[in-house]
Amino acid sequence: MDTQKGNDHGEVKEVGNRKVSMSEVGLRFLAFSLTLVAAVLVGVDKQTKIVAIPVVSTLPPLNVPVTAKYHYFSAFVYFVVVNAVACAYALISLVLTLASKKGGSKGGLALMITTLDLVMLALLSSASGATGGVGLIGIRGNSHVQWKKVCNVFEKFCHQMLAGLILSVLGSAIFLLLLVISARKLQKKHY
Amino acid sequence: MATKGEPVSEPEKAAPPPEAPVLEPEKAVPPPETLAAEPEKEAPPPETKAAEHAPPPHDYLVVVDLVLRVVLFAAAVTSVVVMVTSKQTKMVTLPLPPFSKVPRPAKFTHSPAFIYFVVALSVAGLYSIITAAVSFLALLKPGRPAKLLAHFVIFDVLILGIVAAATGAAGGVAYIGLKGNSHVGWTKVCNVYDKFCRQVGASVAVSLVASIVLVLLVILSAYSLSKKIPQ
Repeated sequence: MDTQKGNDHGEVKEVGNRKVSMSEVGLRFLAFSLTLVAAVLVGVDKQTKIVAIPVVSTLPPLNVPVTAKYHYFSAFVYFVVVNAVACAYALISLVLTLASKKGGSKGGLALMITTLDLVMLALLSSASGATGGVGLIGIRGNSHVQWKKVCNVFEKFCHQMLAGLILSVLGSAIFLLLLVISARKLQKKHY
Repeated sequence: MATKGEPVSEPEKAAPPPEAPVLEPEKAVPPPETLAAEPEKEAPPPETKAAEHAPPPHDYLVVVDLVLRVVLFAAAVTSVVVMVTSKQTKMVTLPLPPFSKVPRPAKFTHSPAFIYFVVALSVAGLYSIITAAVSFLALLKPGRPAKLLAHFVIFDVLILGIVAAATGAAGGVAYIGLKGNSHVGWTKVCNVYDKFCRQVGASVAVSLVASIVLVLLVILSAYSLSKKIPQ
């Protein structure tokens, strides 16, 4: 569609498009690494502690090793699965973006990538929300239903989980940024 | 607890006025002789004119957009109301020596995740009113500007993130309430508070519908943006 316009104008637009594409590639790579690290951090999260459990008040407390693993909590399992899916998708979309740049942009492919970006954003947000909601109970407990806090015992487990959560939130922010960029790109084509 | 739901229903009543004043100049220009006619009767003429100017596919896309925003509003309000009214009080036997029965309420304010859920869905409801009004105004004018569509995409995506996170948080906590977690000694509570859990579950399900509607809205906007490119 640029062939009708002046040559220098088309040149400028080409440069602008390429710049956006390079930033898109960079952002997709960032999303890939963030979700990968988040999934791995939570996936390998495991801590065993010796906890003294008082059985009878007269006897000395019983020392029992207690383990905290991510797959004890369904919310954390969901988190790992979603981050792995988002990581795989980020890699695939990265390859597709690089490939489509050579063959010229297609409207259908761009719309599909936008849609899938959107789905990934929704999944990552809900996984972060679920992990945050359950993790907050782990940190603070819930006195109304007698759920005790566990992060005073499993500090390392909780810190690693928090790091994974922050990385995943950053990953979803990258997907949001990608969607904003593609919206702006679509808008620019109208002028 | 009903006071929490009030801010949502309040703007609902307040929303219609912005539509009326803008309709006023619209009908004042073409037919000055019909002064007291209701806005609904005067709305169609600009729409048919719009159909002549702009290509027809965009018009039904605008209508679908408006309908989806109304559905989003209904879903957000429903899930907030169901969550806020989920309070249930049960007589629970104390585990300590007196063993007397005491009333123990369960309400959404007991969990930060549910509070966040109510706030997020209220924001989504408010947002849907504002954008439905904007979408309605766009329906009256011929063709939608690309800038408006792009802004719709950006803000819809933001609200989608907020609503999806709220759904995830409430769903995750509600699941522990339903199943419990034997590894850390969190006992399930849904066998005691059955009505509370049913309402929370229904509320989360409706908010899931709201997030799906938001996804559809963004796809619709992106689609009509990419359809408008040629010419």
